[in-house]
Amino acid sequence: MTAAPEGPDRGPGPRLSADVLIVGSGAGGGPTAALLAEAGFDVLVLEEGAMVRQGDVAPFSLEQMDRQYRAGGVTAALGLPSIAYTEACCAGGGTEVNSGLYRRPPEEVLERWRTDRGLVDFESDELYRICDEVERELSVQTVPGTQTPASEALRRGAAELGWHHDEIPRWMSYPDGTDARSGRRQSMTETYLPRAEAAGARLLTDHRVDRLIMDGNRAIRAQVSGPAGTGTADFAHVVVCGGAIQTPALLQRSGLRRRIGGTLAVHPTVKLAARFDEAVNVVDDVPVHQVKEFAPDLSFGGSASPPGLVALALSDDWGRFGRAILDWEHLAVYYAAITSEGRGRVTALPGLRDPLVTYRLTRRDRALLNRGLARLALLLLEAGATEVYPSYRGAPVVRRSVDLATLQATFAVSRASVMTVHLCSTVPFGEDDRAAADSFGRLHGIRNVHVNDASLLPDAPGVNPQASVMAVAIRNARRFIESVKR
Amino acid sequence: MPALPVPAFPPPGAIAEFSDRVVAHDLPGLPADRRAEVVAFTGRRIALLPSPMRLGVGLVAVGVGVLGRLVGLDRLTAFLARRPLPVLGEYLRLVRSLAFAYVWDTWPYTAPDGRPGGERP
Repeated sequence: MTAAPEGPDRGPGPRLSADVLIVGSGAGGGPTAALLAEAGFDVLVLEEGAMVRQGDVAPFSLEQMDRQYRAGGVTAALGLPSIAYTEACCAGGGTEVNSGLYRRPPEEVLERWRTDRGLVDFESDELYRICDEVERELSVQTVPGTQTPASEALRRGAAELGWHHDEIPRWMSYPDGTDARSGRRQSMTETYLPRAEAAGARLLTDHRVDRLIMDGNRAIRAQVSGPAGTGTADFAHVVVCGGAIQTPALLQRSGLRRRIGGTLAVHPTVKLAARFDEAVNVVDDVPVHQVKEFAPDLSFGGSASPPGLVALALSDDWGRFGRAILDWEHLAVYYAAITSEGRGRVTALPGLRDPLVTYRLTRRDRALLNRGLARLALLLLEAGATEVYPSYRGAPVVRRSVDLATLQATFAVSRASVMTVHLCSTVPFGEDDRAAADSFGRLHGIRNVHVNDASLLPDAPGVNPQASVMAVAIRNARRFIESVKR
Repeated sequence: MPALPVPAFPPPGAIAEFSDRVVAHDLPGLPADRRAEVVAFTGRRIALLPSPMRLGVGLVAVGVGVLGRLVGLDRLTAFLARRPLPVLGEYLRLVRSLAFAYVWDTWPYTAPDGRPGGERP
């Protein structure tokens, strides 16, 4: 590899070097590390979060939020209203903590990205072949046996209404049983990261890359902070895979700002809690059914529903809804997600460790959230819910379909708890003047800085994005190997 | 780019005082020892907020502290709970969300007013 010059940026902490430095170990970084290491590159993966093995913490618990989420899971894109989001911060990234639901990118989305952004060699056939590989690697499959009651309720309601719905496969293996709760998550720490390490890659957790040090149009070194203090990592190439918030923030801290951070896309969601006569709550799993009757504009699904999150869903009107918490075992939380036309911004501010994140919903987004919440409530009534508690201040308790008119009349996004988990598009790739990176993730105008995570996706795909992220990341990693080895 | 020494901000005392009043208002039946535990949790989580959010919350916390001294923190908390104002209401909502999540994650059979419930298996 190319030796980087000595400079004033070295500290007392670690002095590391590699052919390729990969920043982040999630759905983008994990496969990138595995493929590059297996191709013979000397790979170093730096992960800001800790290594937490599956089973060490209960899924969807506060302890998990403490140990595997950034800022304990309390992060928001500021705006009117602010949108709460969560970001993983651990080895394996979001794949360790998310719902594990897997959706291939729809053909029309790939076509839109290809034609609208001028993406080169971005063929659906190739991407779907990569999806085949990913599905084998991660054991993507539907639940072999019994569904959770909350998932079954979603299916039942959609079936009653004749709405299109299906069970979403997950990256899970079911070695010891056949019901939904017996699955073992095939996350990055179970799959691509061990592959990378077996091929010689080094994974260093609890190490944050503070910034890249540039020399003209090349990055020559990373400033790294870890338990031993501030140090450096030298490299010939760097691939930034920190996710749609941290990737643009790192690039901006490094002085790279062209088209970076200004086009954050998310799937905003509004929620409700639904109460059934029978016990439907499963504290440590999420429903696997989704309703796509109104896709891509609107999708319905189920959320994690431990009692703490049920209380949160009821808290917007606790005076009227609070009594329902006594019966939390009969309650489950569901969401309506939209494909938003709004955009957000990630901005690294001088002197602050974390970026400022903002998001602006459009008028159409607000109307869609309203419509989505009402339709979701209708679906749950059809599924047999006796009471539905929409998560906004001043909401009615919905007991009959006639109450839906009141819901729609009183809903205002500014009074609602709006959330999202799918963040993307902050370093969009393409060949037009909106793109920050080229068709394979290398930053325009910079020789050796690549991005390979959800930041690259030109917009929110309207489905769970992990399959899209992994397919794009593997495609780009292969192109990188070809181009560097050539 | 050296990071500014922001961890001391927002002032933990102001946050704790407000959190205590919010929890006492929303969950009057929560025993004092549990309330103290909840207040400590909200303080820890707010201290972990991303730095721009922490700065914003800190500024609001200082403002609420000053207003509380003028009109009484209990009165101010009750007013904000009744009539959520744009920025101050978000602060209350943040504290309430953290508190409720902690209470029912830790003691799932707590009554809606905070009274400890029978711990079913």
